[in-house]
Amino acid sequence: MKNILILVTIILLASNALAAQLTVDEVVSKANNRSYYQGKDGSAKANMVVTDSQGRTRQRQLTILKLNIQEGGDQKYFVYFHKPNDVKGMSYIVWKHVGKDDDRWLYLPAMDLVRRIAASDKRSSFAGTTFLYEDISGRSIDLDIHELSSGDAAFYVVKNTPKDIGVVEFSYYIVKIDKINFVPMKAEYFDKSGKLYRTVEALEVKDIQGYPTVTKMKASDLNANSNTVTEFTDIKYDIGLKDDIFTERFLRTPPQQWLKE
Amino acid sequence: MRSAFFIALLFIFLLVPSAHAVELPEWHGFIEQDFGGSLSRDSLTKHRDYNMLEQRFQLKTRYAIPGENLLSRWNGVFTYKGDFVLDEYFDTTGSYEIRELNFAFSPTSTVDIKAGRQILTWGTGDYLFINDLFPKDYVSFYIGRDDEYLKKPSDALRVSIYPKIANIDFVLIPHFTANTLPDGDRLSFFDSFEGGITGRNTQNNAVKPAWQPENFEYALRLYRTFGSTEGALYYYRGFDPSPRSYLDEANRQLFYERLDVYGASLRGPFADGIGNLETGYYRSRQDASGDNRLIENSSWKLLLGYEKDLGNDFKIGVQYQYEQKLNYDDYTSALLPQDYYWDQHRHLLTQRLTKYFKNQTVMLGLFNFWSPSDKDGYVRASCAYDITDQWKLTMGINIPWGEDDTTDFGSMKKNKNAFVRVRYSF
Repeated sequence: MKNILILVTIILLASNALAAQLTVDEVVSKANNRSYYQGKDGSAKANMVVTDSQGRTRQRQLTILKLNIQEGGDQKYFVYFHKPNDVKGMSYIVWKHVGKDDDRWLYLPAMDLVRRIAASDKRSSFAGTTFLYEDISGRSIDLDIHELSSGDAAFYVVKNTPKDIGVVEFSYYIVKIDKINFVPMKAEYFDKSGKLYRTVEALEVKDIQGYPTVTKMKASDLNANSNTVTEFTDIKYDIGLKDDIFTERFLRTPPQQWLKE
Repeated sequence: MRSAFFIALLFIFLLVPSAHAVELPEWHGFIEQDFGGSLSRDSLTKHRDYNMLEQRFQLKTRYAIPGENLLSRWNGVFTYKGDFVLDEYFDTTGSYEIRELNFAFSPTSTVDIKAGRQILTWGTGDYLFINDLFPKDYVSFYIGRDDEYLKKPSDALRVSIYPKIANIDFVLIPHFTANTLPDGDRLSFFDSFEGGITGRNTQNNAVKPAWQPENFEYALRLYRTFGSTEGALYYYRGFDPSPRSYLDEANRQLFYERLDVYGASLRGPFADGIGNLETGYYRSRQDASGDNRLIENSSWKLLLGYEKDLGNDFKIGVQYQYEQKLNYDDYTSALLPQDYYWDQHRHLLTQRLTKYFKNQTVMLGLFNFWSPSDKDGYVRASCAYDITDQWKLTMGINIPWGEDDTTDFGSMKKNKNAFVRVRYSF
């Protein structure tokens, strides 16, 4: 018995030592999985408030359903708009692919029209907010070169430089990742002249079903002096979503059971 | 009979929730002021200076049947959408248009049913429709109403079935709804009886098919995805929604000839964008051999399209459509010397540019139709500004043009207009 305890202690110590010496790619991969791939699937309501430089606000309210096809890889998203009222009832499906363009469909209920959306630019605004598509569904970690810079006791600090600098508006971005739970707490984007122009930060992290989850986040555009705060509510993991939710059938007939107001 | 159907729907709506604590459904909609000034100053129509002057009040609601009864287990959802319109163009006191009034439910996990008035759309074209024969309102399209009003509702039963191998949509339309086309009151058009572009003085009229079982219309779509590519097969049996055939020349009567359409489409990722291909064979059942000069011939249509995201909220789309009249020799040899006639080939190109500014609150759009064979075209440009989440301002122009009076866009050339719409959504 004593031997076993010693063994366990040794293993724990060893794994702690290993954790302290994670490579940068392991850190980035863990943070990516933490942000975008927790659970088999999940659902949440997002309330997004966009504030412009003059303090005027706009509101977006949506339900997001997510299914992981492969951890760190392909995913499917279903987005249903509750607000603003002129787009209420619109729904949106994304089949996220790693290494090629996502497939996206938009349903406009007023015309019963399913549109296929050409969407190679993942760095365009998500629904008119300060968040970009890549903030919502994740940026493929293979697109950047990652370097661990001087962190402190609490955070890993990772500098990410895009491999293809021509297709993005930033020259690099720096992400602070919580050393304990691997939640990325802040990302700072620097433009081609090296000036900080954009931040995305986690304002609140809660434990949901054992998964550390960002429940409130803020994206700021420092040039336009505007920002968007997103609060996630009704967050649930492992709810048993099936693949067929993410098809034209449910785009036209939104799945009632997951969309309760 | 039609009203009986709606009363039945209303009955479901009123009766079912009564057994439970009723959670009142949310009502949404908008109030809108629309004005479209004429740029052509066409004295043929009712008003020379404008094409549109109206106020619109739309109300809509969705009501999911609550409780533990059969209809709630079937995910029963009642949908209503209707517009009150004060149309000052026609000096009317007001009209009321029901755009949607239907009940949708899923009796099994692989069947969806929607019964009642509904908007129906399928196919891959952008403002071009080959296999979507559901009714459209081209007057709304040309005078600058919202895109929503291009589609007219159908009173229909839609049954969707989802077996593993492919999805099936079956639509039964017991009551024919015609396209709304320029008829001289609001928009001038080419009237072959008058021999030119005509307005209010037109005397032609279109005779609709009677409401009887042999005039029911059917539409079928089979579709599935192959990886990221969507494939579909279509079948339609009904009537041409535009009256292209002559019933009685002496009395200037047109009619909607019987039509079968067999079609197919593909849509998917192509060359860093989205490509689509659609084709349809139109079989004119009352003139299958093509030798009746009064009835539209069979034809064949092909559409190729491509859309690309250029980044920075800028998208482009291009389309090419080819139409060919079949049995053309039989048609031309049957023509009389004074007849207007269709060309055998029609080539049509379209281009769409969409650019968003200011966090997607300002949209600039340009849509261009151009037919090198008809030597005509149609420029649609618009600018929309989401002032707040509630207020939206839309302005635009509609510029149809053409060398001849007889072609699709050429016949519209005296209807050039500029419009403005202000909408408050709630």
